Amino acid sequence: MELRFVKSVLILLLPLLCGCGNGDWQLGEAKKNVVMVEVTSQTWDYRLPWNPGTVSSARGAGFVIDRKRILTNAHVVSGARYLTVQREADPRKYQGKVLFVAHDCDLALLEVEDSEFFSGTSDLPIGGIPELESVVSVYGFPIGGDRLTVTRGVVSRIDYNSYTHSGRESHLAIQIDAAINPGNSGGPVMQNDKVVGVAFQGFRGDVAQNVGYMIPTPVIRRFLKDVEDGKYDHYVDIAIRWMALENPAMRGYYHRPNDGLGVVVTDIFAEGSSDGVLEKGDVLLSIDGYAIESDGSVRLDGQPVQLEEIVERKFAGDTVELEVWRNQKLEKKQITLRPAEMFSMYENLYEEPPRYVLYGGLVFQPLTANLMAGLVSGADLRLRQTYTLFGQDQLYKETPEPVILTTVLPDRSNVYLAGLTGQVVREINGKRIRTLADVLPALELGGERSVIRFEGDQRPAVLKKKEVDQVMPRIMTQYGITQPNRTELGSRRLPKGSYQQEGESR
Amino acid sequence: MRWALVLGGCLCMAGGVWAEDEDSRGSLVRVRASIQPYDQFRPWQKKSPYGLNGTGVVLPGGKVLATAALVANRTEVGLEKPGSAEKCAAEVEAIDYEANLALLQPVDRNFLKGFSGVLLGPALRAGDKTEVWQLEKNGEMLRNQAEILSAGVGRYPSDEAGFLVYGVRVSLPKRDDSYTLPLMKDGQLAGMMMGYDRDSQEGTAIPVPMIEHFLKDASDGKYEGFPTLGVSWSPLRDPNLREEVLAPKSGGLLLTRVNPRGTAGRAGLREGDILISVDGFKLDEDGNYRDPLYGPTAVGNLIRTRPTVGSPAKFRISRDGKEMEMTGTYDRKAREEVAIPTLQFDQAPKYLVVGGLVFQELTGVYLQEWGDKWSERAPQRLVEYFTFQQDKRPDPEKKVVFLSQVLPSPITLGYQQLSGLVLLQLNGQEIKSLAELAKVVDSCASGNLVFEFRDEPGKLILNAAELPASSEKIGKDYGLRELRRL
Repeated sequence: MELRFVKSVLILLLPLLCGCGNGDWQLGEAKKNVVMVEVTSQTWDYRLPWNPGTVSSARGAGFVIDRKRILTNAHVVSGARYLTVQREADPRKYQGKVLFVAHDCDLALLEVEDSEFFSGTSDLPIGGIPELESVVSVYGFPIGGDRLTVTRGVVSRIDYNSYTHSGRESHLAIQIDAAINPGNSGGPVMQNDKVVGVAFQGFRGDVAQNVGYMIPTPVIRRFLKDVEDGKYDHYVDIAIRWMALENPAMRGYYHRPNDGLGVVVTDIFAEGSSDGVLEKGDVLLSIDGYAIESDGSVRLDGQPVQLEEIVERKFAGDTVELEVWRNQKLEKKQITLRPAEMFSMYENLYEEPPRYVLYGGLVFQPLTANLMAGLVSGADLRLRQTYTLFGQDQLYKETPEPVILTTVLPDRSNVYLAGLTGQVVREINGKRIRTLADVLPALELGGERSVIRFEGDQRPAVLKKKEVDQVMPRIMTQYGITQPNRTELGSRRLPKGSYQQEGESR
Repeated sequence: MRWALVLGGCLCMAGGVWAEDEDSRGSLVRVRASIQPYDQFRPWQKKSPYGLNGTGVVLPGGKVLATAALVANRTEVGLEKPGSAEKCAAEVEAIDYEANLALLQPVDRNFLKGFSGVLLGPALRAGDKTEVWQLEKNGEMLRNQAEILSAGVGRYPSDEAGFLVYGVRVSLPKRDDSYTLPLMKDGQLAGMMMGYDRDSQEGTAIPVPMIEHFLKDASDGKYEGFPTLGVSWSPLRDPNLREEVLAPKSGGLLLTRVNPRGTAGRAGLREGDILISVDGFKLDEDGNYRDPLYGPTAVGNLIRTRPTVGSPAKFRISRDGKEMEMTGTYDRKAREEVAIPTLQFDQAPKYLVVGGLVFQELTGVYLQEWGDKWSERAPQRLVEYFTFQQDKRPDPEKKVVFLSQVLPSPITLGYQQLSGLVLLQLNGQEIKSLAELAKVVDSCASGNLVFEFRDEPGKLILNAAELPASSEKIGKDYGLRELRRL
């Protein structure tokens, strides 16, 4: 099963079901507010991190929400270098600008400088979660023509689903039986004259038919509220793992009656929200007053949803109250929520340029989802395992950002080092490398030689500093590298790491 | 496991010549093996059986040499005389999966009476002309002209070891019984073909020095195998690296890992040492020594093929710029004394079913069951334990016991989806083998069984009192005659 981004191809026809609101009025409002978004974007090349990347164009949809801003999908505008917006039945294209982008929930807000663009738009009201089996209308510009296209579908499922744009996030999503096709992305899904979602992803290939997904209004509202302070913060995470408490022997072990309630905490991530508050073996009975069923669901607005949904609607610094069964006693715990930086390595990066350090033809890069995607099959087993087990084994405590020797740009000064690509850097000149920021200072240490050691039983790489200084200009010219390194973190969030700062040994 | 050999699939027509002389009679015998590997994912059963047909070499004395690949996971091995349908069952007297060699003995000791047998010939060098012999349906011999392209250390199909191997150019016609074929020189055995690619018309052969080593080892009835050093090493060509590690003027390898249990480790060698010479043979910067016969040859041949287990080893090393001699005894401990064995063919996988939880002991064969991309497809924790076992499980007595799957039953409710979990403890007791796990389970008649795993979800609980009834039901429902093999 593969979820995809909706960026190109296909027309769909759906049986037009009726019974949803005042069709004429809704269509009229949609026509006024739905916009076509055309974007030229640039994608960084993690194999050549100094290059500005490849340019491509795509089309999506969006809609005016308050007569001055346009809501669309993050994946429509990510990496945008130039974007235009155009309203239905108006040939003029206006240049737009990304105001906020939230890659974790695949939403973005755009603005248009020329206020003329917004004349005649209205406030599209944002509704709630539609009922199962109720009919919704999807507005957008799927391929096949330039005019506004309307399709209808039935709400098939309301559940957690992965948001493929981020590469790791899961949030509430609503499945509808109108296929969401490329060009639909970012368009409104409406019911009873209200927006009930943003169309954002579908299925690829033959695995399923008539399956589309929309971002429901709780996620939209959260995004709009988050950016009220002028910046978008990341989703927060309770940062635990839990297991359904279904097995009778297991319930007995934790001294819980067979009442179908409670889940057991099986792991707590260091540096996460619950670190120091919850313990392995705690049985969670309620969250903010909502009873937790033994499968981990809570009843929210009459719908069973995963208990994380309570956390999902909150912001950094907010708290949740938990009823915890620990050592056969009921305790109340309060958790202050924060984002889960320990998993940020698994998020696809879009805006930030790739970071790297070039040293005598050796290219060092931090381990990221983008880097792994670029390596595909070439990844050494140790590198792959470092990536896979990074969160699970809490490797971030020691190494918040593993650094990889990704490339050896061939030069007569490094002919013996080519075999070391793909190795995980352990230390440079005796200094443990924990993030990319450690690399340049560590290279300054030591005497006339720099010694780079790797994880596992690899030989070290040894470079003569004088020689490196000599060859750097040559290598940069030969390979068209404009700057020898890019180490600023930018908006990238890293786990803090809980290693010993002083008296390191290894 | 990746046996590269499919000689039988060869379609090309080629210039063989009919054997006219009597020498070739009485030297070859057909080997028919029926193979049935264990199903590692359902360890209580075996997979579908199939047959392999090869050609064995009759040795003076009436034993037969074949490749190990031909008879691995066998249920039955038979010999058949060429030219007649006379058959006889055979026993495997010695087998070495690393070296890919097997010695067969007909059950009827007189079966090969009258066969003169083939003598071992001298070692060959690149450029030597040779022949690959095949049997025709009527028992006649087909001799295919061949040439040795290379003689050096290369990979064997078990994917474990580097040994001396011949690269052979030969055009082989498609014939039955070609899974294993002898490489001959002047009527004497020069090697055993173990792989062939019909597109390039090139193959690989196990050379006679390997066969000599194998037969000598097997001759006392106690097969020990080829020794290992138990080290990882890196070439020392890079002048910057040489300077850093204070390497001598020329030659030597950098030891990047030394298994303390291996030949080198027990002789006192350590990580970071520079290995200058072995048994008087100087090593160059790339890890080659000068072989009297083959010229520059990878050190693997020097330490694996030449000495036998138990023979003395002499190393010259440089440590912190000072040269010194170290002595020891060649052994295979680095390969055999391990927590996770690799080449466990023919052996029934161990398992233990506890109320629907299926536990197994991790082996390389289990991981290979996940296919060519096992390192990506198998549970990553198991791959980690296996690949980095010198770090993860250095103690060979501490086997890796893991939950391989759950057979759903009323008492495993909520556990059905779990698999690939390494077990650490049961009721607070560290579990170092499947037998130990069984003992702890059996000693528990009531109360809880608290299984603690390395990973999510950490703990699983079963009620011991419910086990006997539940186990019986599982045995019945899933048709398992035995719930354990320890």
